[in-house]
Parts: sequence; C-alpha cells; structure tokens
Amino acid sequence: MAGLSFDNYQRNQYLTCSTNTKAQATSTGTTIVGVKYDGGVVIAADTRSTQGPIVANKNCAKLHKMAPKIWCAGAGTAADTEEVTKLIGSNLELHSLYTSREPRVVAALQMLKQHLFKYQGHVGAYLIVAGVDPTGAHLFSIHAHGSTDVGYYQSLGSGSLAAMAVLESKWKQGLTREEAIELAADAIEAGIWNDLGSGSNVDVCVMEIGKDAQYLRNYRTPNVREPKQQSYKFARGTTGILSERVLDICQVEEQTVDIELEA
Amino acid sequence: MASTVASEYSNEVKNVPIEHQFNPYSDNGGTILGIAGEDFAVIAGDTRNTTDYSINSRYQPKVFDCGDNILFSANGFSADGDALVKRFQNSLKWYHFDHNDKKLSLKSAARNIQHLLYGKRFFPYYVHTIIAGLDEEGKGAVFSFDPVGSYERSQCIAGGAGASIIMPFLDNQVDFKNQYVPGSHGTERRKAQYLTVDEVIKLVRDAFTSATERHIHVGDGLEILIATKDGVRTEYFPLKRD
Amino acid sequence: MQAIAERYSNQSALVKELQYDNEEGLSNDFVNGRSQFSHLAPHIALPPISTPQEFLRAHTDDSQNPDCKIKIAHGTTTLAFRFQGGIVVAVDSRATAGSWIASQTVKKVIEINPFLLGTLAGGAADCQYWETWLGAQCRLHELKEKERISVAAASKILSNLTYQYKGAGLSMGTMICGYTKKEGPTIYYVDSDGSRLKGDLFCVGSGQTFAYGVLDSNYRWDLTVEEALYLGKRSILAAAHRDAYSGGSVNLYHVTESGWVFHGNFDVDTLFWEIKAKEGSFNNVVG
Repeated sequence: MAGLSFDNYQRNQYLTCSTNTKAQATSTGTTIVGVKYDGGVVIAADTRSTQGPIVANKNCAKLHKMAPKIWCAGAGTAADTEEVTKLIGSNLELHSLYTSREPRVVAALQMLKQHLFKYQGHVGAYLIVAGVDPTGAHLFSIHAHGSTDVGYYQSLGSGSLAAMAVLESKWKQGLTREEAIELAADAIEAGIWNDLGSGSNVDVCVMEIGKDAQYLRNYRTPNVREPKQQSYKFARGTTGILSERVLDICQVEEQTVDIELEA
Repeated sequence: MASTVASEYSNEVKNVPIEHQFNPYSDNGGTILGIAGEDFAVIAGDTRNTTDYSINSRYQPKVFDCGDNILFSANGFSADGDALVKRFQNSLKWYHFDHNDKKLSLKSAARNIQHLLYGKRFFPYYVHTIIAGLDEEGKGAVFSFDPVGSYERSQCIAGGAGASIIMPFLDNQVDFKNQYVPGSHGTERRKAQYLTVDEVIKLVRDAFTSATERHIHVGDGLEILIATKDGVRTEYFPLKRD
Repeated sequence: MQAIAERYSNQSALVKELQYDNEEGLSNDFVNGRSQFSHLAPHIALPPISTPQEFLRAHTDDSQNPDCKIKIAHGTTTLAFRFQGGIVVAVDSRATAGSWIASQTVKKVIEINPFLLGTLAGGAADCQYWETWLGAQCRLHELKEKERISVAAASKILSNLTYQYKGAGLSMGTMICGYTKKEGPTIYYVDSDGSRLKGDLFCVGSGQTFAYGVLDSNYRWDLTVEEALYLGKRSILAAAHRDAYSGGSVNLYHVTESGWVFHGNFDVDTLFWEIKAKEGSFNNVVG
C-alpha cells in the first residue's frame, strides 16, 4: 500500500502510556540559515546530530537537494526532513517533466507545506527552502505544522536565536556572493559555539541565478579534534579466546563446457 | 486542570492532567574524574556549566583544593554542589578551630561528607561527589559518594554527565579490566599496577577529549588538580568549545 | 601544659574528657540524661513542602519514575544461614543506579563489632549510615551495661529506628548476625517496613530468589564448616549469574562463638569458570 503506514500507531500509543518510555527519534538540535544576496541565495547548516545529550553523528549532511537548483536545509526530526525532501523532490521532478519547465521554488514550497499541514505537525520537519528558477532567487522557511515565511534571511533550529543575532546585526541589502557566504557561515558558527545542539562543521550551498548550484560540503571545519596523547593499541593476545574453530576454506574452480556448440 | 489531546478520532481523545510540581533541581552537566596513584591523587573536571542547550559559563571551576591536601568536587546540580563544598570547607575550618589546627585525614573527611549528604536524605543534594588526597600511609586515595552519602574508596572513578563514556575507558586503562596476559589464552589477568603522574594526565586528557567529542554537556576546558605530599598543583588544558 | 599533655597522652583520654572515669558522670550521661546525646542522633532536613514523601519518591524512586534525576544505588544479593557450625554470611558486591553499575567493589557486610555483622541490601546509603549508627549504639550499650549487646537488642534498636521512619522512604533489608553466650549464633532480619524476624536462613535483595533456589535445595543443619562456606559462596554465584543487579565479587564470613572470621573475596568472573569446571555445572554456558 502506498503512503504512510499507521499499523503501529495504537501499539506505540499503548506503549507510551503503559511504560512511559518511547522510541526516541534522532535529533532536534541544529542550526540552519538562509541568506539572499544580489543575484542569488545561499543556505548553510551545521553538521552535528544528537540523541539526547549524546552526539550521534559528528559530520552529517543537513543540506538536501530537491532539484538541481532548489536546495533545502532541514531541522527537527532527522528522518522526517530527509524523507519529506526526498518525496517532494521526486514529485517536483515529475511535475517538471510533465510541464517541460524548470521546477520553481514556490512549487516546492506549496507541495511541502500542503504535505506537512496534512500531517498536523506529526511529520517533524522544519525547513529552509531556497533556490533559483526562471522567476529569480527565492528563500523561504517552513514549520512542521505547515506555516511558511518569506524573507531576505532566515534561521531555524535550536541554534536559530544565536544565528539570527548575527543575521540581524550584519545583513544588509546588496550583499555580494562572497559576503553572503561568509555571513551565512558566521551565523552557523554562532550556533555551533553557543548552542549545545549544534556543532562540528559548516556546510554551505550557493544558488546563483544563471549558474549551477554550488554545494560546499564542510566549507569551514573549526572543530578538528587534537591528536590523542598516546596510542591505545593492545598487544596481540590481550583478549582471551574461550574457544576456537578453524574452517578449511577450499577454492573450487568450475569449468563449463557448452557441448552443443562443440558438437 | 486537564488538557485534551486533540485528534479527529474520538476514541483517541484523552484527558491528560497537567501536573505542576515543586522542582528545585536542575542539571548543570559537566564531568569529573578521580584517579589515585601510588604517592599522588588527582581530580579532573571540565569547566563548562550548562542548562539544557545553553552554556552558562565556559570557565566555572568545580574541583577545589579545600586545604589539608584534600581535593573536592561535587558534580551535578551546581547550586547543590557549591553549597556542599562551602559546608565542607566550613566544617574543616571548625575542625581546625576545635582541634588546634590538627590535619583532617582523608578518611575522616569522607565520613564527615557522608553526614553532610545523609543529613539531607529526604531532600537530597543532587550531586555525585568525589574527594581525593593522600591516606595515612601517604598513598594516593580517592573516595566517591552517591547523592545521599553512601561512599567507598576506589582506585579510579568518574562522575557526572560523561561518566558512562569515561568509566569503561578507565576500567580498561587503569585497572586493566578485560585485559589478559598475551599467550595465557584468557586465563591470566593483566596485573594492575600504579601509574605515574604523567601517564595519569595523558589518560585524563584523552578521556576528556573523547567525552567532549560525544557528549554535548562536556567541553570548553579541563582543569586537573594533583595532590602530592608537596601540596596541590593545578593544570589546565583547553577543550573544544562547540 | 602538664595537664593538657596528660589529658591527651592517656590512652583513656576520651573517657576522662567525658568524665566517665567517675561513676557519677557515667550515670549522669547514660542513666539520667540521654538527651545530651541528641547531637549523635542526626538532624535530617526536609523539603519545605506539604508532602515530602511524594517529593522524595518523584525525585529518587526509579521504579516509579525512570526519568528521575537522582538515582540512588540499589540492587543486591545477600544471604545468611545458621547451621551446626555457626553462621555463614555471604554477599555480592555490585551497586547499581538504574541500569548503571555504580560499583563492583562494594562492602555489603558491615562489621559492627567483633561478634556482630550487618548485611546491606536496598538503599546503599541508608544501610551504610544506619548500620554505622547502630555500631555506635551498640558501643554505647557496652559502655553503659558493661557487657556486649545481644543480637536481639541490637536488631531491635535498628528495627525501632526503621519503624520510626516508616513511610518516610527509607529502603533497607538487612540481616543482623552475631553470637552471644546466652543466645548462641543468631540471625535477625530487619527491613525498612519495620519488620524484625528471627530465623535460621534468609536471602535478601533483588537476587534473593536465585540464592534461595540453590541454598534451600542443598541446605542441611549438619553441614560442615567447609561445606557451609562453599554453599554460601555458590548461592551468591547463582544469583550473580542470573540477576543483572547482582555481581562483582562474593564476600564470605563465618560467625562462631569466638567472633566472626572473614573468609575471602572471590571475583565472580574467575569463580564462575572455576566452579563450572569443578562441578560440571552451568551447562547453559558454552566455554
């Protein structure tokens, strides 16, 4: 059956009530931003994903490609941001094929918000959608319940306040491409240093009118780990062997002869 | 008071009472660790203080030299930790007043702290406490306490947010747990031996850089206090700040 | 100066200091005014709210609230039994806080005096604190009555205490084991509900059922001392094997008419393989 399966809904509801524990989805902590400049738009994200207070992935990618020139930064439930951008990305491609036109950012926005609204916030995706299309460069943000915002700069996620502080104080009309990239990266860094839910590296994607999108993975790496003080290599035999079994592996060679052909 | 969990299916509508309860506790993260050597003992702690996703301070020391060669750290809810340290320092001062400046042994300090903690058995200090120093024979000693005062002497112990990351590492590298003598086929355990100060500091630094990598409440700085017969020495190493 | 030197150099300096060297001072403290010792009975703070018990439960009871912040050390297997040759006491050494193993080297037998042992199960701090306190009370009894306290009296001091605190949230299950001339080898079970039971054989703690299983099926009154010690050790091993909250090592004690004797600390991991090989038991484990 197509669509989402609700088979386990009642069971999970029961489990939550009776054991007061529930399966924890990975990560709500993130910093993502988007910045418009003259002639394009840039989005950026940190690369930390967490499970509670534990860092699950030190270098994950939060920038998703929906169409060649429409990219999306995701905060909220990691699985939801990934799946919803993939799903809408596919539909966007089909729509583009059907209409023989380049996909538009507003189309992606509309499809995403309708999808999210339908699920009443249960699909926990908080997104910054940006891209260039025949109508120009665009930047939007979407919340899990389906509301959307338009603006010259946006930030989302647990580090959004730190990032917005930078954006509010440094953004101005008529930024150059380079200035916009630096501003976006600076905003993400504010999140990396000051928000515990965000950390590690900065990923950037630049979408300029008339050019291919440029994905700058690990544009900044301000958190390289220092080398360890010593090696922790164990002497061979340090682990006790309780029992041993040796399998004889023999090489089998087969030759197939086509009898009919020979005859 | 009750709120309704809305749903379009009537059978799933539920009344959930909203509970408001007196909650005087919070968790300020951070990690501490104590290791005893042959003629020294250390307590190390990171210097980050947090609540939820925010950093309150990047340098808020939580390991203290209380005098009489006693190192002290109470990790968890920092208000309780500070209160406990102050109470212990006060107790030590009165001990000196009352007993002609007699040195308080680490063993007695431990018993005193048990009473401070258990005195709040029904309104506990939300802290994991570690003290370290030298015992009556001049050997390194570490004592660790649960929130209500049960305590034990040990060779090494970690406490706080990153304890579950650091402790298995310490078990393996200090007590050589799960290590066997090569060639004995897992029958002869590797004998634990005393580590030197330099070896201990290396282990402590690696323990904390590792905990910093994987735990969001650990980081910013590492402060190590080392107690020897010549007194207490402090070393500081920066940690990652993300 | 001489006076000060005398006060502190004398081996019974404390006795002099407290004026216990004259009969009057002694009876003044122990017979007339025990209230002077109120500072020995600790002052315990309560949270400034109407329902301290509920407060405590919400914040410390991990069976009621798995997310509670203050996890108090729990989980144990302890046993003690009487037999022809005295009493055997055996315990494990693991302390757990929720699913976290807080320690593998806990001393769960408290040596109250050379003839009295207390075992520790439940809240580690509760047992450690009140049994040390009990030790002090027993010593005071000794000074006052000029004879060693009976096991019955010692256990009753503790059970009176736990009964006073009933409902407050203490958690302890303990066995007071000892020998006196008039009682012989005696075991009392005392817990935080206020129960106090005299008996021949007890297992206490989360692993008690596993220990009972082994102990009950192999127990005889006329066990030799060697057999009895082995049975105690073997029962704790069985519990350590099956109960996740028990483990670490086994501590063994033997109580006789000349006091208790410590019979060693046995690492569960080593002990397991040793006993498995020797007995040909634990065939559920391939090794």
